[in-house]
Amino acid sequence: MTFNSVPYLCFLVLAVGLFWLLPGRYRRAFVLLASLGFYASWGLLFVWLPLLVAGIVYLVGRRITANPARQKLSAGLGISCVLALLIVFKYRGFLLATFHVLGISGGTHSLSLATSIAFPMGISFYTFEGIAYLIDLRQGRVKLPSFPDLCLFFLFWPNILSGPLVRARELMPQLSFRKPFEARFCFEGLDRLIWGLVQKNVIANMLGIWVDRGFAPGTTEIPSTLDGWSVAIAFGLQIYFDFAAYTNMAIGAARLIGVTLPENFRQPYHAATPPDFWNRWHITLSRWIRDYLFFPINAKWAGAPLPLYLSLLGVMALVGLWHGAGWGFILWGTLHGAYLVVYRIYESWRSTRAGLSDSRLAAGIWRALTLVAITVAWVPFRAATMHKAASILSAMFYRFSSGRTNSSGFYAFTVALILFCAIEPWLMQKLTGIEDHAGADGPSPFRIIVRPIAYAFGLLLFLLFDEHNAQFIYSQF
Amino acid sequence: MLPDSSTIRAAARAAASEIVKRPIKEGQRLVTSGLIDSLSVLKLIGLLERKLGVTIPPETLQPEDFDDVELIVETVERVAKPQS
Repeated sequence: MTFNSVPYLCFLVLAVGLFWLLPGRYRRAFVLLASLGFYASWGLLFVWLPLLVAGIVYLVGRRITANPARQKLSAGLGISCVLALLIVFKYRGFLLATFHVLGISGGTHSLSLATSIAFPMGISFYTFEGIAYLIDLRQGRVKLPSFPDLCLFFLFWPNILSGPLVRARELMPQLSFRKPFEARFCFEGLDRLIWGLVQKNVIANMLGIWVDRGFAPGTTEIPSTLDGWSVAIAFGLQIYFDFAAYTNMAIGAARLIGVTLPENFRQPYHAATPPDFWNRWHITLSRWIRDYLFFPINAKWAGAPLPLYLSLLGVMALVGLWHGAGWGFILWGTLHGAYLVVYRIYESWRSTRAGLSDSRLAAGIWRALTLVAITVAWVPFRAATMHKAASILSAMFYRFSSGRTNSSGFYAFTVALILFCAIEPWLMQKLTGIEDHAGADGPSPFRIIVRPIAYAFGLLLFLLFDEHNAQFIYSQF
Repeated sequence: MLPDSSTIRAAARAAASEIVKRPIKEGQRLVTSGLIDSLSVLKLIGLLERKLGVTIPPETLQPEDFDDVELIVETVERVAKPQS
């Protein structure tokens, strides 16, 4: 059941309704069963996998709490087991293919066998949550709950497939479901849910039709400069609206049962610098990388320049690899690592030039460069082959040619979305203002008239555009 | 022996202000607000070590342990060791 489908919406109505009708003491068990059912709807074959991660974390967690002297060893063992699962289920095909190319594999039979096993949905997310849990437990930030509670944490249906990547200390206390029903849970949940449906079906899926054509691996000719840039920009918009849609629907579903999940986006294309982009894009992954990888590595070297630059490149290459088992993803991550290194070097140089720190011109140049750099990096991320990525990038930067192959609708739609992204912060501020003016609770014209009309319109759009239904991009990671 | 809480608080406020290059307000969030990044946290740790004459092992810490002045005080009291 994908989030933007009628069966999922029926499941959600039923699950939320029953959740609030049940006495408080049964809600945990109910959400665990509903989550198991939801995950099983993607295939019964892999239901055991998040349960196995929960089992590993639980058993290792017991060792960590029982024997503080061997905490480091136990946590290391647990993390290795969870990572081994991720490697086996997500990267085996990529690794075997790479070994095969290098001539050190066991032949094509093992390669075809490895790639024939299906990909378990959400594995990148719940394994990372498992690793974080073990580290937090070792650092004394969380306590070990009962095994069913741990299963509920890993299986919680709103965020199991594509995040947000939650920390145990922010989600576990909420999974006791002690909050009594409040009307605002419905408003807040439905706001996010319906906006997510519109973002996915109307914006992301529509863009996806043109983007798929632009990145089709079969076409060998180099596109025109206009088409190269517009298809790269369109993919940047598609992936933002697609992932933001999923996140909105995840946050909305959780909110309907009174749970608050962390935000994942803060208008990423308004980033002023490359580091600022990572404070705005997939915030919960950035936070994970910062807390469990980047900070411990650099703490060892006290932030010395060379280890810092190498760690930025290495960590960002891993971020790319986390997104998908392919060289295009690794190149995307490494490019972002390079952007971060260049910005760090600039920052060190700027700190020696007093006038530059407040220069509006420098800030404007960085803002524009960041946007261009992000767009460039999306090309290898999306392209199925390096050859395709090279042909689009060459059209963008040095093989200039005129002409266009897409309909006017595509260019108009892309420009409209760019304008929407430009005014998004202002729009959000205005909407929050109206909401604040309406008051925290109770009836208001906004709640009684505007919201139901907006919900009905949103659902209508979702149903009208349902024919282009496509899987969420991030659910493949 | 570790310095007392008020000494740590004063040092934390001074170190954080030095990093962000302006005075820190009461309860102001440093990391979650994006005011300082994880590398600035490492600089902050270095400054605190010098000002307080302590060692702060960063391996078991996370940047958000330094999110505001009170959290910095708690963190230093929890993990810092006097310099030998």
